Amino acid sequence: MLRIENLTKYYGNVKGVENLSIELNDGEIFGFIGPNGAGKSTTIKCIMNFINKTSGNIYINDILVEDKNFEYKNLIGYLPSEIHLYDDYTVLEMFKYSSLFYSNKALKRALELSKRLELETNKKIEDLSLGNLKKVGIVLALMHEPKLLILDEPTSGLDPIIQEEFFNILKEEKKKGTTIFSSSHVLSEIKKVCDRVGIIKEGHLIKVDTISNFNKNNYLNIHVESKDIEKISKELNINIINNNFIYQGDINILINKLSKYKIDKLLINEPETEELFIDYYKEEVC
Amino acid sequence: MLKRELKITRKSLFIWLFVLISIFTLVFAMYPYIMNETSGVSMDELLSMFPEEFLKAFNMDIADISTALGWLKTEGITFLLLIYGLYASILGSNIILKEESDKTIEFLYSKPISRNKILSTKIMAGIINIIVLVLLNTIFINIGLLICNCYNFKEINLLCLVPLLPTLVIFFISLCISTFFKKTKQTIGISIALVFINYFIYTFASISSKIENLKYITVYTLADIRNVINKINFNIINVPISIILITILIFISYKKYNKKEFV
Repeated sequence: MLRIENLTKYYGNVKGVENLSIELNDGEIFGFIGPNGAGKSTTIKCIMNFINKTSGNIYINDILVEDKNFEYKNLIGYLPSEIHLYDDYTVLEMFKYSSLFYSNKALKRALELSKRLELETNKKIEDLSLGNLKKVGIVLALMHEPKLLILDEPTSGLDPIIQEEFFNILKEEKKKGTTIFSSSHVLSEIKKVCDRVGIIKEGHLIKVDTISNFNKNNYLNIHVESKDIEKISKELNINIINNNFIYQGDINILINKLSKYKIDKLLINEPETEELFIDYYKEEVC
Repeated sequence: MLKRELKITRKSLFIWLFVLISIFTLVFAMYPYIMNETSGVSMDELLSMFPEEFLKAFNMDIADISTALGWLKTEGITFLLLIYGLYASILGSNIILKEESDKTIEFLYSKPISRNKILSTKIMAGIINIIVLVLLNTIFINIGLLICNCYNFKEINLLCLVPLLPTLVIFFISLCISTFFKKTKQTIGISIALVFINYFIYTFASISSKIENLKYITVYTLADIRNVINKINFNIINVPISIILITILIFISYKKYNKKEFV
């Protein structure tokens, strides 16, 4: 449903993302996690074609994402991290306006979803709290029954009860075959609903794996300091960022390989499942 | 989408129309009394007190200001050109950029719609607004001058409608400029300054034959005002010139808008 091939985006000389490739299967929920500035939003903005890619391609249902193929957007439901809507409209007017871009059924579904999320549709957009604005965003993303949902920090601002309802809606969507790409930094969210997780750090996708593998595989957090860091990176065929990398496999093989080089410092941690994610996206303090 | 664009620009349209109508109502109501007040001094004597350049700047060298129609040809047309210009420059700066400034473009562009369609709809809304402003004001001026008993259909309507050309060009210049920026506050100042610079160049080119050629670089030349006042005639070549200018500006705007980063 969604295929990203070697996506690179530079803002002038500043790297947004580099050589990022992901493929999402139909009906899959993919969690995309990383710290602020890691490239999550840049990736989503490229998928939505809000910004110009430096290189690489994005396909949705095998349609190349570009302005002239804009009809692919019929397949997408988009929930931004911060919701900005027309302040002069009421919630209902907003739904009516949005439904003009889709089929007749969209408005009916919007009203159903509003009921589930306990949303008052007669209120003006400018009078809504952050949480209610998020609910409107969720309804707008789902009202036309999209095949692909792009969610950017979907639960921020939602209270726990509505979060639970939202997760139920996502699970229902998944059952219907909807593919979901959701960025988040809340680990419990990822664990609750995602099938696979991609970890992004400093613009690089450093790991993609299933949630179950993350739980059962023996991952090790390695910190290595050496003048030969580039050679080590090549030898291990691993992307070492700021002297850190995640290693999976026999520790003896790793030590054997590292023994060929002069090592100044070597730290090995065995992270807990929750900590695993945190270690991935912890910012290095120089 | 066009309906929404017209809805959100309607309030500002009516405010500008109200300002224009208020000015003209005041003038049409007061003008006969003002003229009577100066009855002790002849109009020629009064005008001879002003330098020639001043008279030329307000077309007073070629128009009789003792009537309301005369006022329209002199100070009135200055008001029209400047107010239409300011309205068009603000509208052009805002119409696409407001969506980006308010970040609502994230909502709009996530819908199955192309950038060309967004821009075309906004351009259409802008043109409709400008035409409605000019037409309604023209109708009002016609009624006002009819009541004042100084009515000349061709002269009045030519005077009222020729500002449409520079106004549309200003709208497209401002629109084009706005495609290079991300925030409305960055562009409104530039666009407003452009209106005044164009008007001052036009005025200076009118009052001095030495710098007459400057008229070729100001959009206000397209209104051909002095010709309309002098001969009740309009140089039709200004229409294709305006169309060419607008076409170039539209082309640049579309090119730039299609490559623009929205967030």
